[in-house]
Order: sequence, then structure tokens, then C-alpha cells
Amino acid sequence: MDQSARLTDYLEAGLRAAGLRQSVIADNIANMATPGFRRRAVPFEQAFAEALAKGEPVRMDGLFRHVHRPMTDPVNDIGNDVQLETEVADLVRNGLLYKTYARLLGRMYQQMERAIVTET
Amino acid sequence: MSVEEIAPMVDIAASGLRAQSLRLNLIAGNIANAQTTRTVTGEPYRRKDVVLQTTGGGLGGVTVLNIQRDSSAFRQVLMPGHPDADEDGFVRMPNVHLPVEMMNLTTASRAYQANVAVLKRYQDMVETTVELLR
Repeated sequence: MDQSARLTDYLEAGLRAAGLRQSVIADNIANMATPGFRRRAVPFEQAFAEALAKGEPVRMDGLFRHVHRPMTDPVNDIGNDVQLETEVADLVRNGLLYKTYARLLGRMYQQMERAIVTET
Repeated sequence: MSVEEIAPMVDIAASGLRAQSLRLNLIAGNIANAQTTRTVTGEPYRRKDVVLQTTGGGLGGVTVLNIQRDSSAFRQVLMPGHPDADEDGFVRMPNVHLPVEMMNLTTASRAYQANVAVLKRYQDMVETTVELLR
């Protein structure tokens, strides 16, 4: 029970991170022509994997602290580093991640429900 | 499925999109400057092209190595009334050939579409797999 409860928490955090990332990508695309704007990213999964590998407790709250500006991409003549193609690819990947997390979460709830129904 | 496993194909397609979009930009610049006789170097405009290279040794997509200027000869056009004409009435025109640019425009936009098709197809593939979890 403890294990599966933690797994649902993880999936939920992933789902929320993907939701947040969707907004961040939308913001990047909206600011494509804003002079001096630097793109933002949400490397939640990397932070999550690192914490798991180190055996550290994973913090699921305050997802906003994962939002940062990488500042590594080359800037164009208006000092902006948003590339539409990169953002669209991120959007596609993020959509797939969101769907995967949502389906997995749904599957886990289904399993729980099944266990409850068989008990009665 | 980890993020890294989903990443490669999306990133490869995105690198193709970026490269082709840059090509389209350069072609637009070449066509716009097809009659430009003066640039900062004092010469007529030289057409630009990209040099593309594979990223890394494996399946890494494509990177733009650099943007090069075409060193081929300028066109000599007889236009005695042109302000940049020499004593014989010839004007040095950019080495941009519109039929070539139009052909490149077609191949670049088709290649862009092909990369979008890869991205879409990959999306469909993963969605089909995810559907198994229903």
C-alpha cells in the first residue's frame, strides 16, 4: 500500500510538472519576438531522477522552483534565444509525457478500485 | 519510459526542422538580395549557403556547422544607365541565380515538411503505445 501510494504521488508530481511545462513553453513561444527575452525550462524529471539516485527524499511541492532560464542557447539579433522548432518539439514531447503519466495514474486508480470492489 | 528514451527522435526531428528553417531564411535573403550591388564589403551581394554536419557519431540529428558565402564569380550585366556601371557599361550583379534559389526553396520546404511528418508519426506511435494503458 505504502509503495503504490508513493507511486501515485510521483505520477501526480510528474503530471503537474508537465502541466507547468506546457505553460512555460506557451510563454516561450508567446515571447518569440520580445527583445532580450531568454527562454525558460522545467527540468523536473532530471531533478527527480537525481534525487532518486542519491536516495534523497523527493520534494513534490513548490514545482515553480524548477523553472529556470538555461541561458545556454545562442541569442539572435534581438537578444532572444527562443527557437520555434525547439519549442514545438518540446511541446510534442511534453504532450506525450503528460499523456503517459495520466494513463499510468488512471491505471493505478483502476487497480485500486478493482481491489476495493473485490473486497466487498 | 524515461524522458531520455522519449527524447532522441523528437530531438532529431527538431534539429532537422531548425536546419531547414535556417536554409529557408538564407534562401529568402538570397532572393531578396538578387539585385543588390552594394554591401558593407564594397562588393555586390554574395549568396549564402549552410554547411550541415551530423551531430556526434551516433543518432544525433543535424547541426549547422557554419554559414558560408558562395565564392563563385559575379554576374556581369550590361546596364549602362546603372549608377554602379563601369566604363564599358557593365554592372557586377550578385552571384544569385533565381532558378537555383527556387529549386533550393522547394527542397528546403519539402525537407521541413518531411521532418514535421517524422515528428507527427512518432507522436502517433507513442500515443498508440500509451493507449495500451487504458
